[in-house]
Amino acid sequence: MKKILHLVVFLLAGSIATHAQELVELKQPQSNKVVIKLMFRNGSVSDPAGKEGLTYATVNTVVEGGTKDKTAKEIQELIYPMAVNYSASVDKEVTVFTFQVHVDFLDKFYPVLRDLILSPAFAEDDFNSIKSNQENYVDQVIRASSDEDYSKMALEDLLFRGTNYQHMIQGTTSGVDHIALEDVKEHYKKYFTRKNLMIGIAGNYSPAFIAQLKKDMSGLPDTDPVIPKPGKANNPDGMNVEIISKENALGSAVFTGFPLDLTRSSDEFAALMVANSYLGEHRKSYGKLYDKIRTTRSMNYGDYSYIEWYKNGGSNMLPVPGVPRNSNYFSLWIRPVQVAEGLKKQYPELNSIETGHAHFALRLAIREIDEMIRNGISKEDFELTRQFLRSYNKLYIQTPERQLGFLMDSRFYGRKDYIQEMDALLAKLTLADVNKAIRKYWQTKNMFITIVTDDSEAGPLKKALEENRPSPMSYSNLVKTGLPKEVLDEDEKVANYKLNVKTVKIVSSKDTFKPPLKGF
Amino acid sequence: MRPRSLVFLVVLFSFLQEAAGQTATKKRILPFDIQQKKMTNGLNVVTVPFNSPGLAAFFIVVRAGSREEVEEGKTGFAHFFEHMMFRGTEKYPKELYGQVLKSIGASANANTFFDRTIYHMTGNATMLEKMFEIEGDRFQHLKYSEHDFKTEAGAVKGEYTKNSASPFQQLFEKILNTAFDKHTYKHTTMGFFKDVVDMPNQYDYSLLFFDRFYRPEYTTIVVVGDVKQEEVNSYADKYFGSWKRGTYAPVIETEPEQTGTRFAHVENPAFPPYISLNYKSPAFSDKDKDLPALDILTTLLFDQSGDLYQRLVVKEQKARSVSGGPFFARDPLLVNVAASVVKAEDMQYVKDEINKALENAKTIPLDPQKLADTKSNIKYSFAMQLDSPDQIANSLALYIWLTGNPESLNNYYSLYDKVTAEDIMAAAKKYFNNNSLTIATIGPGEVGNVK
Repeated sequence: MKKILHLVVFLLAGSIATHAQELVELKQPQSNKVVIKLMFRNGSVSDPAGKEGLTYATVNTVVEGGTKDKTAKEIQELIYPMAVNYSASVDKEVTVFTFQVHVDFLDKFYPVLRDLILSPAFAEDDFNSIKSNQENYVDQVIRASSDEDYSKMALEDLLFRGTNYQHMIQGTTSGVDHIALEDVKEHYKKYFTRKNLMIGIAGNYSPAFIAQLKKDMSGLPDTDPVIPKPGKANNPDGMNVEIISKENALGSAVFTGFPLDLTRSSDEFAALMVANSYLGEHRKSYGKLYDKIRTTRSMNYGDYSYIEWYKNGGSNMLPVPGVPRNSNYFSLWIRPVQVAEGLKKQYPELNSIETGHAHFALRLAIREIDEMIRNGISKEDFELTRQFLRSYNKLYIQTPERQLGFLMDSRFYGRKDYIQEMDALLAKLTLADVNKAIRKYWQTKNMFITIVTDDSEAGPLKKALEENRPSPMSYSNLVKTGLPKEVLDEDEKVANYKLNVKTVKIVSSKDTFKPPLKGF
Repeated sequence: MRPRSLVFLVVLFSFLQEAAGQTATKKRILPFDIQQKKMTNGLNVVTVPFNSPGLAAFFIVVRAGSREEVEEGKTGFAHFFEHMMFRGTEKYPKELYGQVLKSIGASANANTFFDRTIYHMTGNATMLEKMFEIEGDRFQHLKYSEHDFKTEAGAVKGEYTKNSASPFQQLFEKILNTAFDKHTYKHTTMGFFKDVVDMPNQYDYSLLFFDRFYRPEYTTIVVVGDVKQEEVNSYADKYFGSWKRGTYAPVIETEPEQTGTRFAHVENPAFPPYISLNYKSPAFSDKDKDLPALDILTTLLFDQSGDLYQRLVVKEQKARSVSGGPFFARDPLLVNVAASVVKAEDMQYVKDEINKALENAKTIPLDPQKLADTKSNIKYSFAMQLDSPDQIANSLALYIWLTGNPESLNNYYSLYDKVTAEDIMAAAKKYFNNNSLTIATIGPGEVGNVK
């Protein structure tokens, strides 16, 4: 009876299923190390309203702190000669602890791993330091380090407003402020149990070791954590633009996106992967967006599109494991383009322009998607892009750590081996599948758009977007004189391309990430 | 090593640390055979077979970077030129080059730093010949229009623009400009913004740049993975055999000795306060013990179990992080010690505490166990990085650009074994000297206010 009641509560809470202590193994006897990953099916979605950032604070207090019988300093002293590498990553729906240790030290290090997970110290000092750094990040670092990351976080804030997906993993200023050490202890006990743990191990380990690890990890609480259902992205009505105004920004950093009801779980993902790669493969010069915005028009450093969350795109050339998500969205990343103030200073011939390049770049990107929806891609482009992806996907798993990570993510999506299965799906894909997926999943009428830009640009850009004014491309004479006619003709069309802009709001940098959250 | 806190994610010089550690064993640190063949035109071809079924990393290291930008107004040019290398040839115009690259399905890109430019492709080993063919073609027959040249300059400006949002990047530019007077390390690899804006006007100079540096004597090919040396060498002969030597050797001014502390500052009240002490460091050598001595010292000083970290970060919580290490560079550059500070008013205190630790290092010998542990840390950190062709090729590339010889990797690591506590004190005395110091700060005021 108790079980039935529990099930009812579970369903009422709209929770997602958890699976007790799954194991993913990747034996590599020739390796000189062992990689252990502990993936908990819980992430920032379980942060309580008003304490956004609690999961992040909890996990970092565990991983950067001590254990029941060793202080953090004693652990550091012990592992220093071993060069053990361990860390934890928190995402919306999963948390992954990763330990990498040389085989010479596996036995000596293992008790530290075990005790960190089973009996973390939760020392006051460790917690205070974590909390202070976390506050520092949400208050200052995110707003003042990379306008591109800032723009990306602001886009998620719009897409998921009012849901448990809205806030950054690191939380919000007021959320972090309200977290106490007791919350952290309680959160760990409640949401990190043997029932939502998946164990992964790769490298050169013995059967006895894995048996011990499994046995020890069953010492975690035996309770079923009630993980809230992940929030879904909001459907905007028209194009909703948020311009974040900053002092002394050299460029306009643009992100735009809309909800996408598709993940790696679906076989259609392979079809959309081809479409997306053709439009804007991450950090590759082959995409249409890159070709038209950067290569042909010299407007910025690169332009890409995404059909799932991509962590740290500025530094990662290939996607990383450990960030699987159920709530998905499509996005475009237009790297910073010039603002009017800068262009005027650099080129006298542009001294009368009112806005920089953001409006034109946005129009061009949207038009490319519309072209794909209207016309599909060609047979030739389909074949070439598929060929690329079938080779390129294998590069995601070059190291044992990555290979293990992708296998574990596969389980999240109900797959066994995502890389292999995608390859098989790509192999049997047809052009019709790709063009059908484009029409089914992509649209440009309703999107959220975030632009981090200089305060001198914000006002004129707002006006231009609101009024759907033509945005002729303002080239310097140096570039303009050599442009072929077809580019200039296309520019004309782009400059007058109608966007379905409904609202444009300017937000000061200090007021971002602050909207009231509705109850989850 | 534990994960670093959030603020560390963007810490200046962070990527240097991957090179800045490492090791010492009696045997060679790299557990793989480095097979080299010097071709008659001067091109060095390096093969490292590695167990990675179906996968190969193909790297081309050109020993020309921002260090070679000796002419006034040409800063950032090596990096700009790296961009131009993707603009095609007669045989493979840029669209076709892009299609071929795409068909290879490789992860391919390039990057430029002070002393070198690296072009890399990692992908299907069965496509190795195609990789050689397209690279051999563009390295010898690059051809772009003046319009393409001017257009690409906009992308470089875009790169500067996106980087410039980071206060660390702004500070780094100022540190170099302040610490150096004559040597080309005065400017970053991106170059000064005024030169970046002027790039479209430098078409003729770009032809000269290609003619000077894209020559076999400046270049090494490294192939790691599921390959055989005979196969690699035969492709090198076929696709790079007719490449002609050049004649140019740049004259890079020696930096005069610095004679007093200098200051660099970025005013930013909306960013965590930050202090960085930058001392002139030794040039890389695989024979001299100064660099490994500094590396051991900084690894130990800033480790999280160390006294300095424990006091400033853990107990007093005046700093969020302390970190540091020497640059690995062909000429003397900088050894850096930095801290992210909690409150701006504590910057002087944090600086004084770091200074005390550096002063102590000059006179108090390291505990022998700590010294041994640090060498072990460095050795195992390196050993654990060697699990893909890409990582191994990257490790080799570092030593190739530093000395031209990949064996320098093994030679350099063997030096760590020889470093004694006395060597470390001597290095601390020699390099942590206020006359060669540049104090750099990010803070709320117009000036740093740190002495």
